[in-house]
Amino acid sequence: MSIVKVCNLRKSYPSFELDNVSFSLEAGRITGFIGRNGAGKTTTIKSILNLVHPDGGEIEYFDTPLHGNEAAIKKRIGYSTGTINWYPRKKIKDIADVMKDFYDSWDENIYRQYLKLFNLDEEKSAIQLSEGMKVKCNLLFALSHGAEVLILDEPTSGLDPFSRDELLELFEKIKGEGVAIFFSTHIITDIEKCADDILYISHGRIIAAMPKDEFQQKCMNDGETLEDTFLRMERNERAERSEING
Amino acid sequence: MGNILRKEMRLSSLVIVYLFIAFGLMFFLPGYPILCGAFFLTLGLYQNFRYARECNDILFSALLPIAKQDVVKGKFVFSCLIEMLCFALMLVSTLVRMTVLSDSPVYRSNALMNANFFALAMALLLIGIFNLIFIGSFFKTGYKTGKPFVVYIAVCFVIIGIAEALHHFPGLEALNAFGFDCFVLQLFTLIAGAICFVGLTIISYRKSCYNFERIDL
Repeated sequence: MSIVKVCNLRKSYPSFELDNVSFSLEAGRITGFIGRNGAGKTTTIKSILNLVHPDGGEIEYFDTPLHGNEAAIKKRIGYSTGTINWYPRKKIKDIADVMKDFYDSWDENIYRQYLKLFNLDEEKSAIQLSEGMKVKCNLLFALSHGAEVLILDEPTSGLDPFSRDELLELFEKIKGEGVAIFFSTHIITDIEKCADDILYISHGRIIAAMPKDEFQQKCMNDGETLEDTFLRMERNERAERSEING
Repeated sequence: MGNILRKEMRLSSLVIVYLFIAFGLMFFLPGYPILCGAFFLTLGLYQNFRYARECNDILFSALLPIAKQDVVKGKFVFSCLIEMLCFALMLVSTLVRMTVLSDSPVYRSNALMNANFFALAMALLLIGIFNLIFIGSFFKTGYKTGKPFVVYIAVCFVIIGIAEALHHFPGLEALNAFGFDCFVLQLFTLIAGAICFVGLTIISYRKSCYNFERIDL
């Protein structure tokens, strides 16, 4: 069942355009959103969170349009980023204390469970956490209010290989609980390791949106790794654009 | 509304903003432009907005399950709360000066503005101007604080200068009344100041909601 549907999402900037982006997310599946830097991943994510205003297109969560139902929908989704910290000098427990006021579904027991699982000390502030722990901290907040969809913008960016591996294993565990995970990355091994579905964006256009197995059958040449395939497709895209632009 | 105000108090505010409330007591100072107390209050609020920006507070708030205009409302309610606490100190200081200290030589010989209801009205006007210029401009971008505050400083000190000078003009001496002299005039100016504060704040709030709804974060 699709719990997030994005249809013909458009957003124009003077030097960049998000061009009719469409995809859907399924419950209990991990979707890897891949593209090079500047391909439109963050713009897409910010658009589906209503942080930037699309020029056109439809966004639905749980069969409800985002427009007009933002507050109710945001209670059921979680957002995390590897690059932004909230209140770096505030203790985790203080942020959690404030957040729980906003979510009827906040579960203190789940919060304690994940605190233990992630090995986080709630007396610590974000500035005292490593990059990997910061991502886990954001996940902690999202999971404690029972988010059914996790939208993660480059959660593995800046992590060492061990922390990345640990985080991707965690995604598998969360997915097992029926949560849909949508994460952007430019690291192909992240996709290789844990994604069920692939969403590949280049120059603001979705080039591929399909299950990983299907992608491997349709797009990969013999003897190619996933990385080789993406590099080849990206080169082809660039060549096509060069031809179009003369 | 309670949850967003609690967020403002617990996560988005500096201790300095609470300490700066005490500048309301500057209304006791003789030989000093007492309206600077209102300016220092807004300086504390300015620092608070800068702190919130560094903490990614606006983005954090926009991701909470609330309407975007509630993010604006939270900032306005918190700022107005701080402003009213400071104004309460100004009011107490003024009432003490108007009653038990009304004949104090140190205040009688004060060449600068006297603390009376007109001074309170001007303080309310300055705070309203801060809400209009600074907070209103902040929500046009969600991050710019420097230029709006510089514009506010310029306007603020022009108003302070005018307020300080007014009672030196012939016919306007009553604006510097001591105690309950010219009480009707004093009361009228205070009501006018309160109307200006409320009006400017409401205009700024509405503009801010409109602008904040349209910006990309």
